[in-house]
Order: sequence, then structure tokens, then C-alpha cells
Amino acid sequence: MLEKLRLTATIAATMRFILIDKVIELEPGKRIKAIKNVSLAEEYLADHFPTFPVLPGVLLLEGLIESASWLVRIGENFAHSMVLLEQARNVKYKSFLAPGGQIEYTVEAKTIEENVSSFSGSGLSSGQTIVEARFGLRHFNLADQDPKMAAVDAEVIESLKKRWELLKK
Amino acid sequence: MRWIWIDKFVEFESGKRAVSVKNVTLAEEHLHDHFPGFPMMPECLCIEAMAQTAGILVGQVRNFEEKVILAKISKCVFHRYVRPGDTLRLEAEIESITDEAASTRGKITCGDNLVAEISLMFSHIDRNLAGREFPEENFVFTDTFQSLLQGVTRRPDSPPLPSCDSKTRGQGQAISESK
Amino acid sequence: MAMSRDEIFGQVQEVLVDALGVDDDEVSSDATLMGDLGAESIDFLDIVFRLEKAFGIKIPREELFPAESLMGNSEFVENGRLTEKGLTELRNSMPHTDLSSFEKDPDINKLGDLFTVNSVVNFVEMKLNAA
Repeated sequence: MLEKLRLTATIAATMRFILIDKVIELEPGKRIKAIKNVSLAEEYLADHFPTFPVLPGVLLLEGLIESASWLVRIGENFAHSMVLLEQARNVKYKSFLAPGGQIEYTVEAKTIEENVSSFSGSGLSSGQTIVEARFGLRHFNLADQDPKMAAVDAEVIESLKKRWELLKK
Repeated sequence: MRWIWIDKFVEFESGKRAVSVKNVTLAEEHLHDHFPGFPMMPECLCIEAMAQTAGILVGQVRNFEEKVILAKISKCVFHRYVRPGDTLRLEAEIESITDEAASTRGKITCGDNLVAEISLMFSHIDRNLAGREFPEENFVFTDTFQSLLQGVTRRPDSPPLPSCDSKTRGQGQAISESK
Repeated sequence: MAMSRDEIFGQVQEVLVDALGVDDDEVSSDATLMGDLGAESIDFLDIVFRLEKAFGIKIPREELFPAESLMGNSEFVENGRLTEKGLTELRNSMPHTDLSSFEKDPDINKLGDLFTVNSVVNFVEMKLNAA
């Protein structure tokens, strides 16, 4: 418990670009569910939009991407530092998500291979579909291109392992 | 984190295409979370930068009277990642536009390198979400976005940019061009 | 432009695959756009844009998917079903669609089922022949 608090203290000062709050279900290699709370405390809401704050569409997509990334990372035991969006299609924004709301992302893996994976995902809030998407990720280490980057890979992986401690159920 | 993902427009052909620029800098907080030890611009924010470039291009066609919002990412493909110190060039073109919606395609480059290709669809929400109440003023195209168009370079053969009507924009800011 | 029906179908299939992110084999002749292929409002617009580009024709959206404006009109809809007037209006605005089974039970919730891949192919064929 104390360890978790210490982690939160070290990370909280710098962590802001995380678009899920908790992973609630994980079926290795298959499916992941995660939730995100939306709060007026999130600074960008002041710009998006003034008088009509709603979570920006690309951050809804980021929630799906992050969820899928964890499915990859856990499945491959953090083998790769870089898990990035390679392509997305038919990302549809069906409803708005306002502060005070919570979204539940469900991402199903279609394929997960060593360096690429593909998914379909959706986000629901109060029974309403907010976002739907199909997308693919690519996973690699910086050292694949430049062996001198192995230490950087290790650093990224370490910090993501710590992040996972905060997010997992 | 402010929600402005482009820095300025460098080309603007009303109703057709626009080019904007985004500098990526370590001064941006979120880079330090993505990822700690190796900062890079998240792909979703590259999409947003394109959405803002294309959205302004679309909104300007109707003089920013419509609230234009991103309705669908038809397709996006990423070829390279983006690092602090990179300057992105975002080029967007209108493919189709009607009263209700618009579709755009675009690409992001960094120097000679292709970073991403992104096709988007925008919805003019007042016309599409009848029954849903929105605040009357155009909360999408605020003065912050207006100011991005100041100083934009036009191509020699393109028509002059209309200035914003003071009745639709409240304070009314003319879009000026530098020579 | 003398395209065969097969050629038109092939292009329409491609348009629907791109616009809806479905697989080729899901786009069968009698697949419904809304029910089977998951199309919604924004997708209808996307489909119209792409059809215009693929076939070089102009398509006002209400011509291809008129049901939405019909549904808002109280003369045409009563208790969740289309009235006689509504049915006539529908027949006039969707000559490219087979309404026979819908007419037996004109429940507006079933309007979506009318939009099949086949009706899109019919529509394009009619437009191309008229051009």
C-alpha cells in the first residue's frame, strides 16, 4: 500500500497524458476493459469547448489505443518499449462525453503478433455508445534500429511497468 | 494543456486547401508522459492537429458560422514517429462539402519525410443534431483559432480571404495576410 | 458511361468497404446498410461523397436516403407507422427500392432495413442511365 502511495507521489507530479484510469478486465491476448472518468479539472476542457466542455474525440481514440497497448504489453511481458498507433479506420464519434461522466472502453484483439496487432474497440457511457474504432498498433524497440538505444528502451519499459501498477485492478 | 495543436497557417486557399505548421517542443508537458525517457508526439495529437487544420479550412467556407466538429476519422496511417525539435507541416484538402458535412484528406510531413496520411469527416452540428441543445455562440471557432489565420501567406493565384463578418463574430476580426 | 450491373456492384462494394470498414464478403446484395453493415448518419454522408466520386454523378443525400426527412413529418408518420400519404411519399422518393414487404408492416423502426446494398446499386444504375 505504502509502495503504491510512493509510486503515486513520484508519478503524479509529471503524469498527465494518460487517458484511462483503471483497467477493470483483462483476458490475455483477447480483450481488455478500462474506464476513464472525465472531470472539469482536465485543463483542455476549457478549450474544448468553451461553454460546452466535452472530451475531445482524439482522446477517446487514445483511450482505446492505451487499452489495446496494455493488452499487448502484458501479453508480451513488456518485451517492447514502443507500442504505437500504426493505423486507424472508421473511428466514429457517436455521442458527446461531458465532465462528470465515465466511459468504459472495451477492446477486442483481432490479431496480436510479435510486431503488429489489430483491434476493434468501443467506448460506452451510461449505456450510450460514445466512440467506435478499428485500429492497428506496431510494437518495437528503439534498439532494433540503433543498439545504443537499449538503455532508453529499458527506461521506458521500467516507467510503464510502474504505470501498470497504478492502472491494474 | 491548451487544446491548440497547430501554431500557424502558412498557406490558405479558401474552400480548397490549407497548410499549417506545428513545432514540437520539450516545453510541452504531455511529452514527458509519452513516454518517460523517450518523448514523442502522440499519434492522436497528430490527428488532432490535422483536424484543426482541416476543420478551420472547412469552417472558413461558411465564414465560421457553422459549428464544425470532427465526426469520423475515415482513415489514418502513421509512417514515422515525431520528436521534440521536429517541425510538422500539415496539408489538408477539402474533398467534398455540403451543408451538413465535409470530408478532407491530408498529410503530415517533417522535412522530406512523410509522417502520416489522414482522412477525416466533419459534421456541421447545428444541422445534424436537431433536438440537441447547443449554446448559440460558435464555441468551436473561438478567437484563438481566428488569430492563427493572421499572417497567413496566400498563393498568388488564389482569391482574397473574406474577412469575418462582424455580425457573426461578435468582435469581428479581419483575416489579414502578410506579403 | 455504359457500366454493367456487375461493374457497378463492384464499385459500390468498394465504396461501402471503405466507408464502413467492413469486409468484402459482408457486402452482399441484400445486406442492409444500417442493420448488417452498421451504417449511421455520418456514414450515409460519407457513402454519398464516395459514390459521387466513384461514378462522377451528383447525389443529393435525400435522393439516396430520404427516410430521415420523412420520419419527421407528422403527415407521414402516425403511431410509429407510415400513413398512406407517407407510403406514397416513400414510393415516390425511393424508386430504386423494393418496398413490397415493408408496405405490409410499415413500422418506422424497420425503415432502416430498406437500405440494402442492392438498392444502392439500383440507384446508381438509374442515375447513370439518366445521365
